[in-house]
Amino acid sequence: MKKYGKLLYLGIIVLFLYLPIFTLMVLSFNKGKSMSAWQGTSLKWYIEMFRNEEIINALGNTLTIALWASILATIVGLLACIGMNAMRDKSRSFFMGINNIPLLNADIVTGISIMMSFMLFGISLNYASVLFAHITFCIPYVILSIMPKFKQLENQTYEAALDLGATPLYAFFHIVLPDLMPGIMAGFLLSFTMSVDDFVITHFTRGAGINTLSTLIYSQLKIGVRPTLYALSTVIFVLVLVFLIFINIASGKGESKISAKSASKEDYDYKGSSPFKKFAIIFGILVVIVFAIKFTPTVPGKVTEKGVVYVYNFGDYIDPEVVADFEEETGYSVVTDYFDTNEEMYPVIKNSSARYDVVCASDYMIDKMIKENLLAKIDFRYIPNIVNLQENIRHFTESFDKDMSYAVPHTWGTYGILYNTKMIKEVPIGWSDLWAEKNKGTIIMPNSIREAYMIGAKMLGYSINTVNEGELKEITELLRKQKPLVYAYGNDNARDLMIGNSAALGVVTSGEVLYAMDENPDLNFIVPKEGTEVWTDMWAITSRAKNKEGAEAWINYMLSEKAARKNFEYLTYGIPNKKIKDLTDNPILNPSDEVLSRCETLKSLGSKGDDLYSKYWKDFKS
Amino acid sequence: MALIELINLSKSYDGEKVLDEFDLSIKENEFITLLGPSGCGKTTTLRILGGFTKPDTGRVLFQGEDITQLSPNKRQINTVFQKYALFPHMNIAENIAFGMKISGKTQSYINDKIKYALKLVNLSGFEKRSVDSLSGGQQQRIAIARAIVNEPRVLLLDEPLGALDLKLRQEMQYELIRLKNELGITFLYVTHDQEEALTMSDKVVVMNKGYIQQMGTPEQIYNEPENAFVADFIGDSNIVDGIMMEDRVVKIFDHIFPCIDEGFGKKKPVDVVIRPEDIIIGKVGEGIMDGEITSNVFIGVHHEMCIEAGGFEWVAQNTKSYPVGTKVSIDVLPENIQIMNKPQSEDEEAISLEEVLGEENIGEDNE
Repeated sequence: MKKYGKLLYLGIIVLFLYLPIFTLMVLSFNKGKSMSAWQGTSLKWYIEMFRNEEIINALGNTLTIALWASILATIVGLLACIGMNAMRDKSRSFFMGINNIPLLNADIVTGISIMMSFMLFGISLNYASVLFAHITFCIPYVILSIMPKFKQLENQTYEAALDLGATPLYAFFHIVLPDLMPGIMAGFLLSFTMSVDDFVITHFTRGAGINTLSTLIYSQLKIGVRPTLYALSTVIFVLVLVFLIFINIASGKGESKISAKSASKEDYDYKGSSPFKKFAIIFGILVVIVFAIKFTPTVPGKVTEKGVVYVYNFGDYIDPEVVADFEEETGYSVVTDYFDTNEEMYPVIKNSSARYDVVCASDYMIDKMIKENLLAKIDFRYIPNIVNLQENIRHFTESFDKDMSYAVPHTWGTYGILYNTKMIKEVPIGWSDLWAEKNKGTIIMPNSIREAYMIGAKMLGYSINTVNEGELKEITELLRKQKPLVYAYGNDNARDLMIGNSAALGVVTSGEVLYAMDENPDLNFIVPKEGTEVWTDMWAITSRAKNKEGAEAWINYMLSEKAARKNFEYLTYGIPNKKIKDLTDNPILNPSDEVLSRCETLKSLGSKGDDLYSKYWKDFKS
Repeated sequence: MALIELINLSKSYDGEKVLDEFDLSIKENEFITLLGPSGCGKTTTLRILGGFTKPDTGRVLFQGEDITQLSPNKRQINTVFQKYALFPHMNIAENIAFGMKISGKTQSYINDKIKYALKLVNLSGFEKRSVDSLSGGQQQRIAIARAIVNEPRVLLLDEPLGALDLKLRQEMQYELIRLKNELGITFLYVTHDQEEALTMSDKVVVMNKGYIQQMGTPEQIYNEPENAFVADFIGDSNIVDGIMMEDRVVKIFDHIFPCIDEGFGKKKPVDVVIRPEDIIIGKVGEGIMDGEITSNVFIGVHHEMCIEAGGFEWVAQNTKSYPVGTKVSIDVLPENIQIMNKPQSEDEEAISLEEVLGEENIGEDNE
């Protein structure tokens, strides 16, 4: 009985540790994009991954930064330890304290403070700044792993070496260093993993065009993580596994080889110690892997005659092929960086911590950026393709960008109700169906302030940009009344819950619908009769752009039929381009003028308005 | 001429004086032991000699040459450390070869030397063993082998047997004496174990509080302690107050004991040392004082007994056992009574420079 208990316990632990990774590995072979439904075995995500320059580049960056950061941090840390070891106890513990403070600091504080110091001293953010930041945060870990080894170190072996005629330097390298090796190795590997893991600090200190895996993956969250990343994670996991197995075998063999050698020969040569060997093996393998990855892919961003266009975009928000086409057809080369939310992008542009030429942002953020003079007027003489833009969208963008002079739409859509035809009898017609008692427990509402209040406002016939406190109170009351009916408040997961038949009615944007219907044929979508929010994500040129011509060429190219087509097929989001009406002529993506007449666009509310919304939202959530 | 001379060495740590104007000279081929309780400055002396610590003041002369500032690797002195300090990532042969490699000896010379050294310490065939696989005693012998292959003029040994068990310690003591005789080099040995010091040394230097308390052959140190500290530190002693009535007569607890000491003056308070084995136990009335046995412990060979006499608890050792409660008398032969001046102050516990030099001269005469 006891034995079974032990086995069960062990089994549960192994399950907890490896089930998530196993799930991910299985899904990486799924033909479809779904996280829940199996649609056949395929290697297509692996092929896509190896073809995707961005992923390969990010992987290369991650590993070279990690390697250099850990090497340099280990050297600096080791030297610091030698110094601290020679100190008196009092000053040593003082410096250990100083060393430990950054460890306790939140990453976000470290990241922002490093970024601010760079800006203060006028150092531009680029690859080197990330590397420098990584070295900085790795050093305390190195010191923390080496210092205890110094304490264990029998000082006498060092003195014994001196006594036997060794110079201090010889004694250090041949006697002290081998004893410290386990600590040094631990510090090095710890730094390496900390560097590979880091997102926050990298995010704040990277310059345009520098992505690591973590920043790349994070930027893709808006669209949902593509299965290429499952494939990548699987590859990394397998690589690490093979690496570890190899180290174990290699170091085991290495040791037996040494003893076999000295046994066969009658000499007692000092041949270097096994800790050195082990470290050399690990180090060698790492270097080989890093440089294999760094130099296999074609190196992008070759500077052509016409220069580089720096693009700042939501993750995975255009077809990568379009970028290649653009480069080929216009002669510009493109460096793209990604962000996940408007709020993440905004400070980067505001502080110009990295300088981008063209940026993609949502309507209300464009509104805010125009007001803060962060955007440059577009010269439409260089945007001949503007004629391709659907006219009916202008009404919405002109509410904040008069005469469309700052921003050109990339995608657009509406918020509506995704419903499951098998789970409810009557087809919903409006927001009021989300308040119907019969649909209790099957409703998914958005978990964000503006979307939730938009729905309430439309129900009551108010503007979705209302800042009238009385109206907000009413809306809050309405939302509160709905609470018992709601299955879940969610944003990104609404679509997947609907695909998985967990709920019958969910508020999603029209962009998600084609994909969801593809995954689950029982789903359908309506734009509510009360009207809704029309959202637009737009291209704009930053006021500090260095390559305005390139940025305009980019915007012009995005409006071309070819780019629109490819982007639509890749994203299945609505793209307001007249030339692809054959693809998008459907009420989900292109609502009738009658429906659109009841729709509005979100606008920036100003800080007073924001505070009011937050106040009532908090009230509602409590 | 002395091989090594330590002249006027002083050293303090954090304001505390560990060595105070310390002088010592060491002759070629001598086995000299620094003996004292922990904190007496003996290890500091050794470290100064090895070059690991620099004295605050004073000089170290090696064959008349000042080596005070010379770094350890340039001295013709090797050390055997208290915790052996073998290099854990090297095998035995590599450990022993370390010093010779640095001085650029040929491979065949090194190999011969390793064989010779291992034979010398009775560990032939251990070349390829790892450090971890050896016992403490074996490790200690490897540490000695590693030091002596460099043919130092002086070998410093810092409590090398401290970590060993009693039996091994005794074996190693004989081993060390044999080694010293075979190698013909000077040994400077540091210990707090008086038995070790007395067994092996040609000359013992008893230290306390950074001063030399007494210096001499083991017999001199044991039989004629200069002061109460030495008497107390070396072996068990009965140290009692006495009054020197006149030359060769001392009064202890109102009983008159004949002795052989002279020149203390008349009616002078003194310290009297009587070793436990020198107390002769007899029937009541036969000795000088009468008393009663209060405890009796068998310590191998001897019985150690406490005798209550004259208001003092005497420790006595005798092969014959007297049960507790037996009324006995005690007697001491005059030559076994050691009379010492009482110290006027704590500082006077250390003997002055003149006395040290004088004592050394006596030591030389005796050899």
